[in-house]
Amino acid sequence: MLTFAFRKLLTLVGTMIGIAALTFLITNVAPGDPARLVAGPNATEDMVATIRTEYGLDKSLPEQFIVYMGELVRGDLGTSIVTTRPVLEEVMRYAPATLELVFVAMFLGIVIGVPLGMLSAVYKDGPLDQITRIFSISGVAIPAFWFGILLQLMFAVDLEWLPVSGRLPLVTRPPEFVTGLLLVDSLISGNFATFWVSLQHIILPAIVLSFPCLASILRVNRAEMIEVLQSDYIVAARAHGISSFRIVALYALKNAMLPTLAMIGLRFGWMLGSTVLVETVFDWPGIGLYAVSSALSSDFKPVVGVTLMIGFFFIVANTLVDLAYAWIDPRLRKA
Amino acid sequence: MTALLDIKDYRLDIGTFDGPVHVLKGINLTVNRGDTLGIVGESGSGKTVLVRSVLGIGPRNSKVVEGSISFDGQDITNLSEKDWTKIRGIRISMIFQDPMTYLNPLFTIGRQISDVIAAHEKAAGAGVSSKSARRARTEELLDQVGLPNPAMLFSQYPHQLSGGMRQRILIAMALAGKPDILIADEPTTALDVTVQAQVLDLINSLVEKLNLTVIMISHDIGAIATVAKRCAVMYKGEIVEQGMTQDILNRPQHEYTQRLLAAVPDIDVAPEKVAAEVSEAKPAKRGNLLEAIDLKKVYRSQSGADFTAVNSISLAVKTGEIFGVVGESGSGKSTLARMLMRLIEPTSGDIIFDGQNISGLSGEPLRQMRRHMQFVFQNPHSALNGRHTIGDAIGEPLRIQTNMSRRDIEARAEALLDIVQLPKMFKYRYPHELSGGQKQRVCIARAIALNPRLLILDEPTSALDISVQAQVLDFLQELRSELNLTYVFISHNLAVIRQICDHTIVMKRGEIVEQGDTEQIFLAPREEYTKALIESGRKTSQAANLQV
Amino acid sequence: MTATPMTPIDTSVEDTRPLTFRERHASQIRQWRLYAHMFRKSFSSMLGLSLVVLFLVLAAIGPLIVPYPEAASGAINMSAKLQPPSSTYWFGTDEMGADIFSRVIIGARTSLWIGVVITGIAAIVGITLGIIAGYRGGWVRAVIMRFTELFLAVPGLALALAIVAALGPGITNCVLALAIVWWPGYVRLVEAKTLSIKEELFIESARSIGAKTPWILWHHILPNCMSPIIVKMSMDMGMAILSAASLGFIGLGAQPPSPEWGSMISVARTYMPDWWWYSLFPGAAIFLTVLGFNLLGDGLRDILDPRSRDR
Repeated sequence: MLTFAFRKLLTLVGTMIGIAALTFLITNVAPGDPARLVAGPNATEDMVATIRTEYGLDKSLPEQFIVYMGELVRGDLGTSIVTTRPVLEEVMRYAPATLELVFVAMFLGIVIGVPLGMLSAVYKDGPLDQITRIFSISGVAIPAFWFGILLQLMFAVDLEWLPVSGRLPLVTRPPEFVTGLLLVDSLISGNFATFWVSLQHIILPAIVLSFPCLASILRVNRAEMIEVLQSDYIVAARAHGISSFRIVALYALKNAMLPTLAMIGLRFGWMLGSTVLVETVFDWPGIGLYAVSSALSSDFKPVVGVTLMIGFFFIVANTLVDLAYAWIDPRLRKA
Repeated sequence: MTALLDIKDYRLDIGTFDGPVHVLKGINLTVNRGDTLGIVGESGSGKTVLVRSVLGIGPRNSKVVEGSISFDGQDITNLSEKDWTKIRGIRISMIFQDPMTYLNPLFTIGRQISDVIAAHEKAAGAGVSSKSARRARTEELLDQVGLPNPAMLFSQYPHQLSGGMRQRILIAMALAGKPDILIADEPTTALDVTVQAQVLDLINSLVEKLNLTVIMISHDIGAIATVAKRCAVMYKGEIVEQGMTQDILNRPQHEYTQRLLAAVPDIDVAPEKVAAEVSEAKPAKRGNLLEAIDLKKVYRSQSGADFTAVNSISLAVKTGEIFGVVGESGSGKSTLARMLMRLIEPTSGDIIFDGQNISGLSGEPLRQMRRHMQFVFQNPHSALNGRHTIGDAIGEPLRIQTNMSRRDIEARAEALLDIVQLPKMFKYRYPHELSGGQKQRVCIARAIALNPRLLILDEPTSALDISVQAQVLDFLQELRSELNLTYVFISHNLAVIRQICDHTIVMKRGEIVEQGDTEQIFLAPREEYTKALIESGRKTSQAANLQV
Repeated sequence: MTATPMTPIDTSVEDTRPLTFRERHASQIRQWRLYAHMFRKSFSSMLGLSLVVLFLVLAAIGPLIVPYPEAASGAINMSAKLQPPSSTYWFGTDEMGADIFSRVIIGARTSLWIGVVITGIAAIVGITLGIIAGYRGGWVRAVIMRFTELFLAVPGLALALAIVAALGPGITNCVLALAIVWWPGYVRLVEAKTLSIKEELFIESARSIGAKTPWILWHHILPNCMSPIIVKMSMDMGMAILSAASLGFIGLGAQPPSPEWGSMISVARTYMPDWWWYSLFPGAAIFLTVLGFNLLGDGLRDILDPRSRDR
């Protein structure tokens, strides 16, 4: 098992290098002058030329790549033109907000999606199944930004139950920084008022973000459960007198979890990408919003930085999923 | 004494798109305590549906049209799930065909059996005993079915064990609740010949020790005869004959039973070698049509260990003869067959076809060579592309290798369908509409489309029903003399090999253990392995032909 | 072994007259009837089909039937700006006074070509690479799959964002970026399917009669891949349109005043919450279109499932 984990770790590192190469490609192979990209739209010819030599953009491509990799290893992601601060520093500052949002959304997705999928499979073609079918397909179809706007309209403006946007109201002081996750930090410092307010702020964007995830997890879990429930070893278990409840909740579910896990991993990735939309709608100060505003200002370095960061999170998540796979399925452990 | 199991006038329908299918038509069957009943039938006879309905795990959209099933006085035709938990595993138990798919791959053996024990205890109303108590009972059960080292087995997973061991585990699970009736659904079909005999022995000993009542279904008459004293023959959803097994095998009354028994090859009967004689009349070019010299196939696994599937095998096939290759699974016979056609590349060694060394050929010359040697595969169900019509399938070799016009190809396809005795209409049909035997004939038609001189047949009848096997084998012999073919015939079924092969080699783990004239091998086997193989085959074959 | 031969299937004299079309294709006809029957039985599949058909019709003839065709590229009519939905303007008007209903209908055509181009390019590139990778194996497969996995390592929308940021905003770049992000999905699907089909006996059988690799790929492997490909393409149409709209919403896709649904919403957002209709209707259009394609794909998947073939 340990050698398996170690090999997965190696793959992780290798993939990170690959992603770095990919971002490098995007920056340099895209039509247009990379120096101008970095310099921004308001640069003069002189500035562009200076940047070109300064950043070594007049060297050959392979040379540039080595320089690039060197910078990445040192943690140098460049500087933002708009804020003139190092990209790495800004990304690290915004990351906790995004992570918190994604975690809450993921939690909602799994906790609601898995049981509902299971129940839909067991009571296949029944009324619950029909409802969840439409629900789960809508979930993937609905545009996240539109859904967010609708929820804002309904809950924040019309009903005024929840705040419209942001992470905390302007007047509230954030709790002691421990993890950067407001919900966690406020609990740690015992500040329940702040916890409650943070919760109110996070709930709408989390629902919007979790919706497609919930839908997919439900779908996959349902499909897998149906397939597993028809398999031979389930027939045998029934023939041996094991109760239906145990068959479904334990045997079938464990076998169905494998593809569901894979979907959870995939959805985590989608979610990371969708943060650009949800954070824009809700003014959530995370890396998604950072990337969007940088892109619109033609500030390219931050966009690359965010892409790298998202790629990193995604790979870590996938590695964890692979490890979980091996933990559940003993046949994979030898591999 | 009331019968233990009583099935009266039972009729079952399954709803399909084309209307209801009458799967079981008026079944009347009685089983008394202590009986051993065998149900013989081929695919489509309904035997599996019947026994599964007894346990309430029949097909999903099935409907009981008429009749009833009662167990120990209680009507179990339409029980609720809750009531079934008191019966399944505790009063009636079942073991299945392929132990690999009937065991959950994600849980340990010990866990699965302990859970079964717990379920029984719950159904009986008593509390669930402790983990260690269940573990002790599990190990006791594993010991009862003859498995060594139960303690270690407890924490192993199904994929780590052999087929025979997995089947014993299924039996142990079935016995956990001390049932009255054990239903065995084709328990030996997926196992090797030597293992089959062991499992059947186990079942017999359990019948004695535990006073078990057994219902065994199989298409293998030999297996049935070994275990069952009474027997029922099923055909197309009805029981066409039932009675004492001895009586049925000696004096079959119904036409279908007679046909079925006649089709079973007897390992101890010398074949009527009529066909071989006939071909002598046509002086074909005598001499070796195919030679293999030191053929070797080594697989290198990821961890670097070498696995030798075929180890330096040399053989020579004379023109016009039927050359047999017999061995169990893992012997390398299929690999050897494929190497002869270079479907698998040999690691080393030469292949000489009609005097020409074909081992080094590649590209166009290799394709040309394919016209002379053709392969008939084991499983006709997967050897045909389900999306192509039969006409397409038969015409494909012609389209690839010749420049014949479409019309000519169609005509030739029709001619080929004639040769294999299938109606011309079939060229518009799809494989899933044909039966197993028909599909295999289509594969044979495809193989002879290019007028080859050599056919390599890899277990061509193993996947077919017994009555169909006999026909296909007869047909292959006729074809050989008609078209002047030479065969290399691979099989694990010794009786079949004896019937039709002139010259045979016996393979074990990639090597030739014994070779020579077929009759010689069967009458006077020299090697231990060959003797053991013939003995195992003889056991079941004899039982089927009542020469115990 | 003396077995009496079984009576052949048709003992009657065989018909020598040429068979009618119906008889020749009896198997296929039955198969299609089964498909249609299963499809009709499912409410969600029929709903999906209806939505897709509606979408296609609007895309085809939309600009010809809308009440205010000049709304297509932001005709300015300031006197009617930001009107709520009424009998004259069914969906209300936007900040330029253009009729939103007309713009939404016309936007269908834009969305259609976005979806077709993205899905088309992705499918052609992805299927080709996938089949080659799956069949060839060895280092060819390793190279293709590593390259594909690289693209899959970064979530789609984020990667597309980066590409568009590099190329510059605009609908062509948006479509290009999304196509680049999309093809790996097909490679993965087709490669996996090819790997499993490759082991089937009928492939070996084709090789044994001398078939060359292109023949096998085209005649044997591709037809058996088609079912999951068709399902995926149907669902991808919807998802591609959604992704393009998302990029449009951020401001990096289609640029106003192009009647693309996503960019319409990005402008509409600044007029929230008072002029809510401006955001509502384009969003609803996206939703219904994507929903339709997804339901359709889902329905297709159900009927093409090999298990249901044996009904």
